[in-house]
Amino acid sequence: MTVNSLQIPSLLLIPLVGAVVCLALASPGRILGWVIGIAAAYSIVAAAVAARVLSAGAVTSAGGWLRIDALSAYHLAVLSAVFLLSSVFARVYFQVEAERGEFPPARARQFGALWLGALGAITLVLVSNNLGFMWVGLEATTLTTAFLISLHRTPASLEAMWKYLVMCSVGVAFAFMGTLLVAASARGSAQDATDTLLWTSLIEHATSLSPAPVKAAFIFLLVGYGTKAGLAPLHSWLPDAHSQAPAPVSAMFSGFLLNAALYCILRYVPLVEAATGASGWAHTILMQFGVLSILVAAVFIVLQGDLKRLLAYHSVEHLGIISLGLGVGGIGTFAALFHVLNHSLCKTLGFFCAGRLGQIFGTHEMEKMSGTVRRAPVWGVGLFGSFLALIGMAPFSLFMSEFQILKGAMDRHFYISAGLFLLGATIVFTGALRHAISMAWGGNSTAPGEQKQGAWNNILVYGPLAVLLALGLWMPEPLRDWLDQAARLVEGVP
Amino acid sequence: MPVLVNGILIALILVGLLILGASRMIRLVALQGALLSLMPLLITPHGLTWRVAALSLGSMILKGIVFPRLLFRAVKHAQVRRELQPYVGYSSSMVIGMATLAASFWLGGQLPLPGEAVSDLVLPAALFTILSGLFLVVARRKALTQVLGFLVLENGIFTFGVAVVGGIPFLIELGVLMDVFVAVFVMGIALQQINQAFEHIDADQMNSLKG
Repeated sequence: MTVNSLQIPSLLLIPLVGAVVCLALASPGRILGWVIGIAAAYSIVAAAVAARVLSAGAVTSAGGWLRIDALSAYHLAVLSAVFLLSSVFARVYFQVEAERGEFPPARARQFGALWLGALGAITLVLVSNNLGFMWVGLEATTLTTAFLISLHRTPASLEAMWKYLVMCSVGVAFAFMGTLLVAASARGSAQDATDTLLWTSLIEHATSLSPAPVKAAFIFLLVGYGTKAGLAPLHSWLPDAHSQAPAPVSAMFSGFLLNAALYCILRYVPLVEAATGASGWAHTILMQFGVLSILVAAVFIVLQGDLKRLLAYHSVEHLGIISLGLGVGGIGTFAALFHVLNHSLCKTLGFFCAGRLGQIFGTHEMEKMSGTVRRAPVWGVGLFGSFLALIGMAPFSLFMSEFQILKGAMDRHFYISAGLFLLGATIVFTGALRHAISMAWGGNSTAPGEQKQGAWNNILVYGPLAVLLALGLWMPEPLRDWLDQAARLVEGVP
Repeated sequence: MPVLVNGILIALILVGLLILGASRMIRLVALQGALLSLMPLLITPHGLTWRVAALSLGSMILKGIVFPRLLFRAVKHAQVRRELQPYVGYSSSMVIGMATLAASFWLGGQLPLPGEAVSDLVLPAALFTILSGLFLVVARRKALTQVLGFLVLENGIFTFGVAVVGGIPFLIELGVLMDVFVAVFVMGIALQQINQAFEHIDADQMNSLKG
C-alpha cells in the first residue's frame, strides 16, 4: 500500500469521519470551525489527486471500482472549491444566527453531520467507476441534504423539503431503471458478469451494446438524473428548495449538487453515442432539454419577486446552457465544461450575498431590498457583480463560455437552437438587470449601514469575483489542457 | 420454476390493482414487497447461493416488517392512515389501473431486450408496478400515500432488476437496498416533522410555495 493508492479512499473517509466527529462536538462555534478544517483537508487531498491524474492519467483503486480520470478530477476540483467556500461562509452566516439564539448546538450538530455526509455522498458519485455505485451515491445525496433544507423546521421549509424528497427520490428511481437497462443491453456482449456496469468496461464494448435498450435507458437516465439536475420541465422542486434552505446550503445545492447529477448524465453520453453509431441521437435530446430549460427559466426570471428564487431560476437557465453546450458537441462540450466552473463559482457567490443581505433586511423580497450597496457595501457589490456575471456580461468568464457555446452551435448549423438561446439570454439579461439595479441603488432608505467588515467577507466576495474576471480575460494553459482532456472523455474520443 | 415465477408475477399484478383501489395501503404494500423478495430465490442462474438467500431474506425483512412498522409509527398520532378524499376516486383508479396494465403489456412487447427473459409476464408486471407507483405519488393527497407510492415504484424496479437483468453485482444490490431503507427512514422522520408543524399530513395543503 503506497500513499498514492490511499488517496481515493481517503476522499471518501475524510468527510465520513468528519461527520461522525461533528456529532460529538459541543458548541456551534467549534462545529463550524471543524467543518472548515475538514473541507480544507479534503481540498488538499483532492488537489493532490487531480494533479496526479493530470500528469499521469487516470487513477484507480478498490479493484477498479473507484476511478478518477480527467473528467471526474475536474468535477472534484470544482466541488472542493465550492464546498470550501460554502463552509467558510456557513461560519459567517450561522454566527449571525447563533448571536440571535437561532442556532442551538443540536441544530449545529445536525448541520455539520449532514453537510459533511453530503460531501461524502457527492464524492462517491464522482469517484465511482461502477455506474450502480454512482447511482447509490446520488440517491444518498438526496437523503443527506433533505434535512439541510428544513434545518429551521418552518412550515414553508418542510414543504420544500418534502417536495424535494419525493420528486428527487422518484426521479432518481427512474435513473436506476435506466442503469438496469444499460446492464441488460450489455448482456448480449462478451463481458464478464462482475464487470457489468463498470464504466471502463462498458465504454470498451460500447459498440456491441444493443441500441434499442440503450436508447430506452438514456431516456430513463435523462428523466431521472435530469430531475435532480433541475432541467425543465422537471425542475419544479428546485426554486422551493433553493429559496427555503439556509444560504450556505443553497450555495452548495446550486454550486455543485446540480452538477453532480449532470455529471451522471455526462458519463452515459459517450456510451449511448457509441452504441447508437454516433448518430448524434443523445446530443439532440440534450440540446432540446437545454433550450427548453433556458426559455422556461427566462420567463420565471422576469416575473420573479423573491431574490433566492430568482437565483434558483438562474440555475435552471445555466444548467440548460451547459446541457445545450453538451448537445452541440465539439467546442460546445469544451465550453460547457468550462461553464460548469464559471456557473458554480458565480452562483455560490450569489447565494452568499443573498443570504447575508436576507439576514440584514429580514426578507428576500426584492422590492423591500433596495439600496443594498449603501446598507451593506461588500455584500451589495458582490450581489450586483454576481448578477452581471450571471446574465453574461463581458468580460466575466461566463460570457466567454456562453459565447463559445453559441459559436459552436452556429458552426455546426444548429441555427434554431442558437436563436432560441440568444432569445432566452436576452430576456434574462434585461429582466435580471432590472432587478439587480433596483436592488443595488434603488430606494432612499436611511437605515444604518452594516458596520462589521470582516476580512473573511472580503475574501468570500472579491475572491470569486476576481477569479471570474481573470478567467474571462485569460485562460491558463493547464486549465485549457485539463478541459480538453475532460471534453475528449465526454466526446468518446481516445 | 417458471410456474412459481408466473404465479408470483400474477399475484404482484393483482396486489397492485388492490393497492390502487384501497384506502388503507400499508399492509398491502408490505405484502407486495414480501412477495417480490421471493423472486431472487426462484430465478438463480447459478443455483441457490448464500448471497441470493441473504439478499432475499434481507429484502423480505425490510419490506415486509421494517417498512410497515416505520410507517405505522410515523403516522401513529395523526388520524391519517386512510386516504379519504383522493384526487382520483378509488373506482376510477381501478379503471386507470386496468388501462395501465394493458399499456404495460403493449409496452413490454415493444422493448426488445437481449437474452431470454424468465417469463413473458416479467416486463409487463414490472412496468405496471412502476407506473402504478408513479400514479399513487401523483394522484393521492396524503404525504403517507406518496411514500407508499414510492415503495410500489421501487418494487417495480426491483422486479425488473431481478428478472430481466439477473447479474447485478451483490454489492450494488446491497447498496440499493440500503438506500431504499434510508429513504423510507428519512421520509418517516419527515412525516413526523410535517405532522408536528402542520397538524396534518396532506401534501395538497402544502401549497404556499409558487412561481
